[in-house]
Amino acid sequence: MQFIVEDADTHLHIKVLDTRIDAAIATPFKDKLREIVAPCRKPVRLDMAAVDFMDSSGLGAMIAVRKSLPEHLAMVLSALTPNVERVFRLTRMDSVFDLQPPPPQKEPDA
Amino acid sequence: MIPTGRSNPDIGCFGRCRAQPMFHRVLDANPATVRAALQDVRQRFLPEVCEDTLGRLELVLAEVMNNVTEHAPHEVPDPTPDPGRSPVIHLCIVRHDGGLACALTDDGISLPEGCILPRSLPALVPGDLPEGGFGWFLIQDLTQALCYYREDSRNYLAFSLPFALPEAE
Repeated sequence: MQFIVEDADTHLHIKVLDTRIDAAIATPFKDKLREIVAPCRKPVRLDMAAVDFMDSSGLGAMIAVRKSLPEHLAMVLSALTPNVERVFRLTRMDSVFDLQPPPPQKEPDA
Repeated sequence: MIPTGRSNPDIGCFGRCRAQPMFHRVLDANPATVRAALQDVRQRFLPEVCEDTLGRLELVLAEVMNNVTEHAPHEVPDPTPDPGRSPVIHLCIVRHDGGLACALTDDGISLPEGCILPRSLPALVPGDLPEGGFGWFLIQDLTQALCYYREDSRNYLAFSLPFALPEAE
């Protein structure tokens, strides 16, 4: 399980580096992420750009992490790939998490 | 664990009929072999099947094979004196004009009664969200013509996965 964690003032920014959140890693993924998220008491922003596959056990892990955070603190998932976003939408979990589209690509200065 | 899938577009069968890529594998049911099989399925169909369909295929196969793995009868704290073994999954996928036809068999425990009956999502209770129970919902939602039967010690599950609209021929 690999994460890049950055404690911004207003929120915790976490980049997920695993490319698959599946049954093979769901439990340690959940445990590790809960350890990071639970003590901080801040809204969390997860950068999911690297994740290209998630199954229902991965979804269960994400829900468990969400539940480790008080309800009034947002958990924002950004840059979801289409395959991962599909799982959230089909299971209606897009109502529980705050799904945000990837930021627009900035054109390099000419 | 040897992939026996075949794709040989150069050999037409009697002229017009196209050879279609297929995938066949026999694997022990555990998370690592399931992951490897899914990645190989993707590679097999990557040239001819669009990303949307591949994504749905990978998800539904993962859910089916995870079910077999998670409910393996050998998962007891003390495996002795009978060390038990993982169920063995046979996976077969064939591409046809409308989509992908999939068949999976395994010698694990019976699938849950009513697994192919229409079901809804687990209730979203605020403050007590479900962390599981999504698998069969996803399988049903993503597939067509889902059928299941058990014969002797094996489960047989078959379904069709339609192509995304622009891809259908």
